[in-house]
Amino acid sequence: MFERGKKDDESVESQDANRTEPDRAFGSLRSKVAGRGGDAAVIGRSIQMNGDLRGGEDLRIEGDVSGTVELKNSALTIGKEGKVKADVYAKSIAVDGETKGDLYATERVTVHVNARVQGNIISPKVSIEEGAHFKGSIEMDPAAVEKALGKTVASGADTRAVPKKPAKEASANLNPPAGTA
Amino acid sequence: MAGLDATGRHVVLDLGAASTAMLALLGRSRCRVEVADLAYFGGIDRLKTHEPGPVLSEAAESLLPKRLADEAIDMVLCWDLPNYLTLNGLAALMDVISNRARPGALAHALIFYAERDMQEHPGRFVPTADGDLIDHSAPSAAIAAPRYSPEDLGKSMGRFEIDRVRLLSNGMQEFLFRLGS
Repeated sequence: MFERGKKDDESVESQDANRTEPDRAFGSLRSKVAGRGGDAAVIGRSIQMNGDLRGGEDLRIEGDVSGTVELKNSALTIGKEGKVKADVYAKSIAVDGETKGDLYATERVTVHVNARVQGNIISPKVSIEEGAHFKGSIEMDPAAVEKALGKTVASGADTRAVPKKPAKEASANLNPPAGTA
Repeated sequence: MAGLDATGRHVVLDLGAASTAMLALLGRSRCRVEVADLAYFGGIDRLKTHEPGPVLSEAAESLLPKRLADEAIDMVLCWDLPNYLTLNGLAALMDVISNRARPGALAHALIFYAERDMQEHPGRFVPTADGDLIDHSAPSAAIAAPRYSPEDLGKSMGRFEIDRVRLLSNGMQEFLFRLGS
């Protein structure tokens, strides 16, 4: 059921063949990165976002994001510089940076060494590498995982129905910290 | 672990760090694992800072993972962390845990007893397939061990009562506590 402790440089799933039109909100933030994360949209480390972030393609976060993150059919990587304070819904989630919030993944969650995760993890496959820092709960009962994810997927079929907060466009604060380009 | 049957659902609270081996072991049963990682997330210092009272109780509560569901804890893995807490801090923590646990829940702890010294930082214990525990923590300076007696612990484990004690070949005492009704 679980695959744990596996050094997994392929944690992030490859691009979804059925991915939807790129999210316009991130069109200007798109870049191609090498290594883990592959050809994913990137929220760079000088970016701060506050709101509901949704999309249909793989995403790598190196900046600060708070609110809700929904990439139901895609892979999310939270890079070493990434700080996410949000409940996250994705196909797969790989964490190298920091997260505070619950992580829901229909395929897998991987917490890499030196990552710092506070929140609950609900996924059929969970991997926490030795040296990762985790505070929260991990559901290991397949029936409970299915139930929790079923609820999430059901409510996420129409993503407009998921957040209890009023839907709004993701907003990006493009003010880089002093001293950054 | 023998207390967890493979068919029933269980909630396990691990006060130590998440370990791949521990998750693999617990993955054999239908359970939810709550991980506190007290040492990394500042729990030891926070429990030392306050005098007994509401503030200490609140501090203890905040050290535990947010409850995902209204399910009672069946087993608590304390490892060697009680040695690094004051008796007041330990009592506050175990009071909070007692309120989250079901009657008959078990708590396991390792107490430095024969040796006068212990490592400066708590161990990072990983179970092996044959039931042994290996400490994977990096060596650190030696400090005086509090060498808590069964009487000390009997008064500082909330509603948990001593069920079994045995002296291990490494000089530690292994305690199994059971929550009274």
